[in-house]
Amino acid sequence: MTVAVGLHGVTKRFGDVAAVDSVDLEVADGEFFSLLGPSGCGKTTTLRMIAGLEFPTEGSIRIFGEEVALAPPNKRPVNTVFQSYALFPHMTVAENVGFGLAMCKVPDTELRRRVAEAIELVRLGGMEHRRPTQLSGGQQQRVALARALVNRPKVLLLDEPLGALDLKLRQAMQVELKDIQREVGITFVYVTHDQEEALTMSDRIGVMNEGRLLQVGTAEDIYERPANRFVADFIGETNFLEGVIVAEGHVEIGSSHRVRAQTNAPVGTAVTLMLRPEKIQIHRLEEVVDGRNRLEGTVQHRLYFGDSLFYQIELATGDMIDVRVENVPSLPRWDAGQRIAVSFHHDAADALTE
Amino acid sequence: MNVPTHAAASRTTDRALSVHGVAVFLFLYVPILLLVVFSFSGASNLSVWGGWSLRWYQKMFSNDPLLRSMRNSVVVAVVSTGISTVLGTAAALALERYRRWLGKRTFDALLYLPVIIPDVTMGVMLLMWFTTISWPLSLTTIILSHIAFNISFVAIVVRARLANLDPSLEEAAADLYADRWQAFRRVTLPLIMPGIVGGALLALTLSLDDVVITSLVQGPGSTTLPVFVFGLIKRQVTPEINAVSTVMLLASMVLVFGSLAFQRDTKAEPSPEAP
Repeated sequence: MTVAVGLHGVTKRFGDVAAVDSVDLEVADGEFFSLLGPSGCGKTTTLRMIAGLEFPTEGSIRIFGEEVALAPPNKRPVNTVFQSYALFPHMTVAENVGFGLAMCKVPDTELRRRVAEAIELVRLGGMEHRRPTQLSGGQQQRVALARALVNRPKVLLLDEPLGALDLKLRQAMQVELKDIQREVGITFVYVTHDQEEALTMSDRIGVMNEGRLLQVGTAEDIYERPANRFVADFIGETNFLEGVIVAEGHVEIGSSHRVRAQTNAPVGTAVTLMLRPEKIQIHRLEEVVDGRNRLEGTVQHRLYFGDSLFYQIELATGDMIDVRVENVPSLPRWDAGQRIAVSFHHDAADALTE
Repeated sequence: MNVPTHAAASRTTDRALSVHGVAVFLFLYVPILLLVVFSFSGASNLSVWGGWSLRWYQKMFSNDPLLRSMRNSVVVAVVSTGISTVLGTAAALALERYRRWLGKRTFDALLYLPVIIPDVTMGVMLLMWFTTISWPLSLTTIILSHIAFNISFVAIVVRARLANLDPSLEEAAADLYADRWQAFRRVTLPLIMPGIVGGALLALTLSLDDVVITSLVQGPGSTTLPVFVFGLIKRQVTPEINAVSTVMLLASMVLVFGSLAFQRDTKAEPSPEAP
């Protein structure tokens, strides 16, 4: 694996606050890598340090092996798509896209050819002579993308590029961005707070909180096997049940309810059982459940979401859990106040120790 | 609610407002109109109309001290505007773009001082300073004084423009391989140009207009036009003053319309929201 971007012990302090706290990260060549986290988690600062718009207080940043931690932005083989697009308002679309090439003193004929190609790539043909203010948000976004890609950077950095677009356009652009990335084969480092965006587009995701990189993995790794409670809670919806390991692979929740779970923790460890709402089934009390964990409870609320139904259930252990059931034909409906049983496979119950 | 009464009241308000509007215009422009008309009067006294005549313009253009003061005014205005525009813009950039540097707050406060303190105070201060360092009063001391107050005005106007400029534009330029000079030259400067031009025009006007400070720091033979006119009025009021004022009025109008035309040229085209 060729490492496109390598961060080693990167820390950025603003005064006493560590915005980014000893982050180690390796992004592979050609990878679509997302940094995901809530606002203020340090993901944008990390991106800006790769771009050269901020300099780390400590640590090393390498781009294809070359140390760049303290190099100015114009000396780095990376380009950025800014959150606000940062298009130059006094230049046309073509002048915006050609800016980087002009700065690199690319000959005029080559410049014009590459600008035309880039504008074609983002499907903005015919808009060359418009000003950014005459374009819609989605079109401005494409100009920003073309302006960065035209320079053929070794790494493209994207700072919440779809944040300002409405939902439909955002979904269309997600697909398009992924297609463009595959077409140009450039490493993308993508910053977002939108978990859905990160899950659908990325080859790998790094989840950050409070300046720390908590987990790096594929979308499936992060959703199915979160490293800790924060990641489990931030990505998707999750039920948490407090419990204690009472035997190998067995967790006791409440006072006398024992379930099987995914864990290697030794007996006596306090754990949090993580259970996704869509991995739980609801049964009639008398129904026999084989090979799965079974707990009894009472339906408190039923919420109708169209594509799914959402039940809030109070378990016999005293815990409240959410259960999501796909809205398929002939689905039994459970009413508030009804006594039911829930079941889940032990693979779906992850016992987290932190 | 009684609708008809309300409508009637609003009609009365409308009428009162339009009368007020006309009155304001008359108040502003009648004196100027009278001044221009009387500059073409043949009488040597402003209280009577002496028929159409250009004699006061002839007199003005053969009045050597007046012409010299006019030339002085132009030299002072052009030189002080040029220098204060460069320095004022640099000060605005330093204050707006570089967030932390030693003495920034002090400098920031000091920059507003020439705008706040009375002209007389400023003039006396400058005079005492030139006397202390034994700098002979001349056209140069006038120019230096005008630069001293104009820097502040230029800096304030340019800062307002800079404050509205998205800082990520400069970052984008740097990200696109521009060095700091290129980023400034190709991105920042064109975008703050209307502010710089506005500041320069303000400086030019203030310089052409200044009486108090100039009269304190002028040397022999370096009188500027407004100071000269002020002196004329003390002696006698003739339509020659009207003629001079009309020429000054014409010059300022050319400047204002020139700057408007410039700003129309540099402004981006109207921006309809594209589909």
